[in-house]
Amino acid sequence: MPDQDIALVAHLLRRAGFGASRDEIEAKAAQGYDSVVQDLLNPEAQPPVDIDLLMRYYPSYYQAAAIETNIQQGVFTMINTPRQLQEKMALFWHMIFCAGHSKIDSGQEMGRMIAMFREHGMGSFRDLLYRLSTNPGMMYYLDNTESHKANLNENYGRELLELFSIGVGMDEGFNYSEDDVKACARSFTGWNVAPPYPPFPHGRSPWNFRFDPADHDETDKTFLGETGNWDGDDIIDIVCKQPGTARFIARHLYNFFVADEPQIPAWRLTPPRDRAAIEILEKAYFDSGYQIGAMLEALFTSDFFKDESVRYAKVKNPAEMVVGLLRMVDEHREIKPGLFEISLEPRYMGMDLMNPPTVEGWHTGREWIDSGTLVERINFASDILGNTELPGVQSLVNRLMAGGDTLSPQQFVEGCLDLTGPLVVTDDTRNQLVSHAAKEGELKHGSDSERGEFTRRTGEMFQMIAATAEFQFG
Amino acid sequence: MGAHFFGFTDRSYYYSHSVGRNEFAGTGLRHPVAMAIAPDGWVYIANRSYEHRSDGVHMTIMTLDEEYISEFGAYGEADGDFIWPTSVAIDSKGDVYVSDEWLNRITKYNRDGEFLSKWGTTGSGDGELNGPSGLAFDSSDNLVIVDSGNNRVQKLTADGKFISKFGSAGTGDGQFNLPWGIAVDKNDYIYIADWRNDRVQVFTSDGEWQQSFGSTGSGVGEFNRPNGIAVDGDGDIFVTDWGNNRLEVFAPDGRYITHLIGDGTLSKWGRDKLASNPDMILQRNLAYTINPHHEKSFGHPCAVKIDPQGRICVLDNNRGRIQVYGKDNVPVLH
Repeated sequence: MPDQDIALVAHLLRRAGFGASRDEIEAKAAQGYDSVVQDLLNPEAQPPVDIDLLMRYYPSYYQAAAIETNIQQGVFTMINTPRQLQEKMALFWHMIFCAGHSKIDSGQEMGRMIAMFREHGMGSFRDLLYRLSTNPGMMYYLDNTESHKANLNENYGRELLELFSIGVGMDEGFNYSEDDVKACARSFTGWNVAPPYPPFPHGRSPWNFRFDPADHDETDKTFLGETGNWDGDDIIDIVCKQPGTARFIARHLYNFFVADEPQIPAWRLTPPRDRAAIEILEKAYFDSGYQIGAMLEALFTSDFFKDESVRYAKVKNPAEMVVGLLRMVDEHREIKPGLFEISLEPRYMGMDLMNPPTVEGWHTGREWIDSGTLVERINFASDILGNTELPGVQSLVNRLMAGGDTLSPQQFVEGCLDLTGPLVVTDDTRNQLVSHAAKEGELKHGSDSERGEFTRRTGEMFQMIAATAEFQFG
Repeated sequence: MGAHFFGFTDRSYYYSHSVGRNEFAGTGLRHPVAMAIAPDGWVYIANRSYEHRSDGVHMTIMTLDEEYISEFGAYGEADGDFIWPTSVAIDSKGDVYVSDEWLNRITKYNRDGEFLSKWGTTGSGDGELNGPSGLAFDSSDNLVIVDSGNNRVQKLTADGKFISKFGSAGTGDGQFNLPWGIAVDKNDYIYIADWRNDRVQVFTSDGEWQQSFGSTGSGVGEFNRPNGIAVDGDGDIFVTDWGNNRLEVFAPDGRYITHLIGDGTLSKWGRDKLASNPDMILQRNLAYTINPHHEKSFGHPCAVKIDPQGRICVLDNNRGRIQVYGKDNVPVLH
């Protein structure tokens, strides 16, 4: 199979999913890029994670009350769902529609919110915004439960515009005014949450959205130039038809799937990195009637996504780093103890899943990396890839051995880079790796002792690769 | 005034009370998955807890009158500990056996929970285990084990020596798909909750298939992953219908009698918890939910046992309690 096909499909699976084992990459490459894209875009054609089986061995995952169990279930799903793009989109929306356990204090509601993103994240953006605006966790997180006809709280109204849909501005202009924020917030008065059961003694009840018409502002409001007795539903209609919304979602998709953009607050003044690409996505948004799936199809079939210049042009977020490594070596692909420890790894790397730092979410790109998180990333990757007792790592070693009875240091390094990506590295990095490999000469695997040495050196080389700057990118 | 009767008229079931509350230690239960009830009324409960709260993984001993006795065992691989405790059984001497479906071992304790011995080898050979998920003793004090991962049932001596086996993977008579719970009746007939086949299968003591009942669904006599099973002195069969959050009741011939969805009320320990938390009292009093039966209903019930008084005890996993029901053979006003 041509190497370029492998590299392109590996790129697709890293971005539209959480990576894959080498076996899976090769199987998907044989299936063909366009066919794989269609599979990704149509998750219902793939089986979901067997949640019954998961709950059998992890009984606490049923109506999971604790935040930790919800995170574990989320990480397990990222690792194991055949519906990889669906799960990637659940993460995408979680990173935009930010709400956190630190305030919500109900793991079950965080889990339900992520489940809503999972189920509806590739459908209509209008539908998604409505579901978000009636999500009890979000209503509480952004204080809409405290926003009343007689005593307005603007928090949800403001964030809906600033961070969830239109964005502050574009092309150096502003997309809305302070009066629009007030009108928006007034339209959402009365959108509230019914009181649930407490956690003790027998467990919470799920929170439910509840509209209180007596607390809703029924007067006329002027919002983005349109006047009427708007409610939240009307606001969402008006928001969705704004060019700013198309731009905002398009830039988010580009930033998440293609290449790192500046942080969101800079978007009003900083033009898109690839304006033509953004225009393609904006067009798909309007042509499809706000369908996210149509934008994703435009993205993954575009030349700008397939271009070699955007491969390894994005810093992997911690979830991608952790889950991608586990998928690469087929770890936790079955149900076993240890999910709690695994689910903590993204937090150690700066991504406390289900608990973003603020409603603005995590700063992405190179801001994932600092001296502390880099050490965590390298240590975790080294521990996984360097553990030659893992069946998945041993499988990679066997693949290397199949490359020939004798491997030169150069061949050895090329083989290791190929199996850990295929990873693209600078000449300088490659030379350092080859130089290290050359210290112990060529590799053979004819005898048991040679196989042992081959395995040891491969584990070490994988660990060195895990420590390169290039491995931080995906 | 005329009365109308349909179906069975010689037995009815009534809710008695609830025992336990959600808590990680002491009088609380945390995701309990299995229990056994000794002739003296001591109830041994396996708490699976959360993986991140391994302090909640232990056995609890209590009574159905909410007398707390003690707890034993802990998360781990040391003697007397377990990773995934899954079932409990008591032999005729009163010793307690707990299966661990991760470590593939059976641990034996005395009545007070002191470690006595352990055995178990991972594998699929005779006497080897792969996910032991149900334990019961027959009248000869042999241990009948649901060897779930091997899709079979094994009969072993109480110290683990192989006697016999039956079953294989599949959907035919006598075949299984990840079976879970087990009951052995007074005639040593063996009842298996065939979890992923959504049915119950009944065998003689020698493993000869007798009957199956149930199919996938939520209707009358249907199951969504049945897991716990018990047979009372009349031969009636009680099955925790895990995914449908109910207990289904069948006559000895497999005919459907009724189902119970839970009637939980505050346990004594639950009331104690609320009494020290006024905010939770207020929240509970204000609570409004689309499901007004929320607090009463079963949440993934995992096990059902018959106590020495003939009461039906349902282990209510997600609610951290046991709901106790009685059975009347004549009309009684409760």
